[in-house]
Amino acid sequence: MSHNLIEMLLRSESGEGPPSALASLKQAIEDHGEITDDDRRAAAARSGLPEATVYGISTYYDDFTQVRGDRHLRACTGTACWAARFDAQILELEEGLGLRVGQRSPDATLSLGEAVCLGMCHSAPAYRDGDTVDAGLGALQRLLNGSATEAFEPDWSSVLDRPVLTAAGTFNGLRRALAEMTPDSYLAEVKEANLRGRGGAGFPAGVKWEFARNSPGDQKFIVVNGDEGDPGSYIDKYLMERNPDLLIEGVALAGYAVGATHGLIYARSEYPRSAPALREAIARAHERGDLGDDIYASGFDFQITVEEGAGSYLAGEETALLNSLQGLRATVSVRPPFPAEKGYHELPTVINNVETLCNAPFIAEHGAQAYAGLSPGATPGTKLICLNERFVNPGVFEVRFATTLTEICHGLGGGLKDGHEIKALQIGGPLGGILPGDRLDTLLDFDELAAEGCMVGHGGIVAFDERTNMRELACHLLDFGARESCGKCFPCRIGLQRGLEMVQAPGDLDRDRLEELLETLEVASLCAHGAAMPAPIRSLIAHWPQELGV
Amino acid sequence: MEVFVDGESVEVEPGATALIATRLAGRTVATLCFDDRTAAFGACRVCLVAIEGAKAPVASCATPCREGMKISTRDERANRIAANVVELVLSELPSPPAPHTELAQVAEQLGIGQPRWTGATHPVDHDVSHPYLVLQRELCISCGRCVRVCDEVQGAFALTATGRGFNSTIAAGLNSGFAASTCVSCGACADTCPTDAITESFLFDIADQAGQGE
Repeated sequence: MSHNLIEMLLRSESGEGPPSALASLKQAIEDHGEITDDDRRAAAARSGLPEATVYGISTYYDDFTQVRGDRHLRACTGTACWAARFDAQILELEEGLGLRVGQRSPDATLSLGEAVCLGMCHSAPAYRDGDTVDAGLGALQRLLNGSATEAFEPDWSSVLDRPVLTAAGTFNGLRRALAEMTPDSYLAEVKEANLRGRGGAGFPAGVKWEFARNSPGDQKFIVVNGDEGDPGSYIDKYLMERNPDLLIEGVALAGYAVGATHGLIYARSEYPRSAPALREAIARAHERGDLGDDIYASGFDFQITVEEGAGSYLAGEETALLNSLQGLRATVSVRPPFPAEKGYHELPTVINNVETLCNAPFIAEHGAQAYAGLSPGATPGTKLICLNERFVNPGVFEVRFATTLTEICHGLGGGLKDGHEIKALQIGGPLGGILPGDRLDTLLDFDELAAEGCMVGHGGIVAFDERTNMRELACHLLDFGARESCGKCFPCRIGLQRGLEMVQAPGDLDRDRLEELLETLEVASLCAHGAAMPAPIRSLIAHWPQELGV
Repeated sequence: MEVFVDGESVEVEPGATALIATRLAGRTVATLCFDDRTAAFGACRVCLVAIEGAKAPVASCATPCREGMKISTRDERANRIAANVVELVLSELPSPPAPHTELAQVAEQLGIGQPRWTGATHPVDHDVSHPYLVLQRELCISCGRCVRVCDEVQGAFALTATGRGFNSTIAAGLNSGFAASTCVSCGACADTCPTDAITESFLFDIADQAGQGE
């Protein structure tokens, strides 16, 4: 992260907050379908950034690099959409429109792009027409007819009698904390609760909060990572759109514990409904007095603003997210310095995933012991998981940790449709290992999944049925990995491209070379993207060597 | 603060990195994205060393020293993986780097000849609009040194990283040629470039003529 560029942003900042280059460029492409040099100059002048910097930003994000016609369509190329039809729908769409992905019609009335992922994994394949996201049966035909409709999203459910995450936020936790607890005593409660991050790494939230609390500085920030980019996951989408009050309460609680008065939520542009839902809920919370100055006459002030991304998986990595939130390229920065010391505006910042923060209200209201009791003998709290379209009952479910995957896949999911069999599951996103269908006795928890080379990750579960070719899956995953690499560190930037070329080439794979490449990625990559993309490939080598061709 | 490099005691200032410690100990850990005039960047991952107690080799440029830390520059795994990374870098260029460049020297130091990888390379793309500087984009390895010296040393902000993934590269200004950018012709970018992707025009002309003479 360039210190000078941040200084420039701060200097040009007006009272209403940073005039983000992302927002300016987004306006331009929505207005006239592409970004011109005049747009870049205007964005530079407004944001205070150099023209070259804005040029770099405009070449990074999907929302800026895909030219648009009057009507802009996007096909979802996420893993659940792939698992449904193995990309046959993309070819049908291209044929039906007479356009390839990335093209605009000569009269500029129509364009076709892609997005990973639209979060409609329950009804894959999914498409987007303007801001309308359609998915499932008949969606392709409706898109071709110009009659796309908002896709139906199945309701979520919880296995608990008193749901923690799927029940509407009440602000009872914030009320209790502000009335009965000091920031230190609430922080101690969260540490005792051992609330582990739900975004993938599983780092204890209380420890993170304590780092930021102890970092010197009067001004601190809570940043919410709502960039749920993992293909196959739509958990945070549900939380942001269906239960924004619970998230708002959690962010305010984190602010109280850390000593921050400002929270920023970074929502994905691939979810066109998320940012509006959050902004509306924040406005209502202000009206009720759940946010604002002197909340519940406690002396605690807290406000939340929402920023929208511009299409980048890597923006979900915390340092890249900070760059993107400040309107820069979403590339990874070295740590140290850690965000807890030097984050947003180079000030102490906590970055938590959406679901992580949604656990904070329960801990404030009921305490660490009750929280541990939610999943007896396992990781404390509950977990939201989501199932893809292959299942009979796809959707979002709140489960206890250490639930078996059999219970999840067959009990909740009802098994696969039309008598298909589960050949494998990818759990927790594209960086998660792949579990063979005969190991569903594995428990959904951090250590148990790690022992199988898998992870809880984000909690998205994508089932692949018996039609799935594992070599093609390797191509799908590495294509995603290479395309979404931020391009900063050499192993990931070049290594994922070489890995992709290797699996795309016909014939058997040189196993030694492949493993050497995977080790290089794992050890040398700057962030988890390059370091963990090998995990699913290692699973394929271990469980399907013949199909993979090693 | 005392740390140990290959068993040898070295006294470092607080805040020093493991890479600085290895240099103080007289070791030459290879680097590609490092320029000591700019903040640690951590992109090339070539400066891998082993730290006692760490699970895997780490990038020494981004690893702060701790009291008593034991750094090894001779770790087999660290050196092997660093060599793998440099081999990947060589494989992205359409032609080998000139022998005098830092990249060629690092490759030689790590014992890498012709890369085993085939596959996509960067397309030949020359910008000769500037009176003193030439950009040969096919030689760019996205180490970010030019962008950072232009920002952190010169304060001209004429350069940026562009694109993402394998297609990442650099551009001047709005990418309408170096001459049209806010470049102040200081030459810091050409000075720091480890591959001659940015070089001085007269050196480029000499190399170009030599190339044609072959």
